[in-house]
Amino acid sequence: MLFFSYFKDLVGREVTVELKNDLAIRGTLHSVDQYLNIKLENTRVVDQDKYPHMLSVRNCFIRGSVVRYVQLPPEGVDTDLLHDATRREARGG
Amino acid sequence: MFKYIAEKLLVLLRDGRKLMGILRSFDQFANVVLESASERVIVGDLYCDIPLGLYVIRGENVVLIGELDLEREELPPHMTRVSAEEIKRAQKAEKDATDLKGSMRKRMEFLDFD
Amino acid sequence: MASSNNEEESAVKEPLDLIRLSLDERIYVKLRSDRELRGKLHAYDQHLNMILGDVEETITTVEIDDETYEEIVRTTKRNVQYLFVRGDGVILVSPPLRTA
Repeated sequence: MLFFSYFKDLVGREVTVELKNDLAIRGTLHSVDQYLNIKLENTRVVDQDKYPHMLSVRNCFIRGSVVRYVQLPPEGVDTDLLHDATRREARGG
Repeated sequence: MFKYIAEKLLVLLRDGRKLMGILRSFDQFANVVLESASERVIVGDLYCDIPLGLYVIRGENVVLIGELDLEREELPPHMTRVSAEEIKRAQKAEKDATDLKGSMRKRMEFLDFD
Repeated sequence: MASSNNEEESAVKEPLDLIRLSLDERIYVKLRSDRELRGKLHAYDQHLNMILGDVEETITTVEIDDETYEEIVRTTKRNVQYLFVRGDGVILVSPPLRTA
């Protein structure tokens, strides 16, 4: 629940999602669900030349299970809030 | 959850294949029904769309579902469309080159043990 | 409830309790596909999904030389300010002792 809530609060911000197949996509976070499936808008692929088939993709749905990383915007990270939420979650809250 | 229904989409699969088609349904597991599906095979600057028909794709194989912007070019201008036969030849040539590199490496490893 | 809240917080009964003690500390994470991360742990959950700060990623790749067919091992590093890491790629987590 912690990261689902976290990503819900991040909606509207720019993130870079890096997939397990090395494809990296930058875009505006449009929505997220409980599986951490992600929808991005106004997307652009970081290494466009390597992925020509992605040229006209503007919006996309990414299956949560194929995500390796999400690069987060610094203004979307409140470390104190995250520490508290993590301790609460660890207690089974 | 999904507003892409009835749109032309690109579905990337875990094995690297690229399917295109019209989304007819979609569920919580990302199972997908694609109508008039085709596979876009790309080898270097060559590509070909191979018609497949109606496909039900199991969710766990789906990497990404992309909505295509019809205002934009689907592929860069330097890419050339070729026939199914030609793309298959190009695919085989690419595979043979990779296989050769792998087998040469094995031979060299073998020599190292002498 | 005899045990105080403090005792509960510092008790190490299961593996993830050790990770709780690393919160706000720099950790080392080994990942699948020959990747390693060093960074400050800001959040985690039971799947080992994490948020790390001031992250350095090290990727180890093995290339095969076109002429000699020898293996060339390369490491590439990059830095990311804040990174969410999906837990299913995590192999191990450790305090970054000898890796300063």
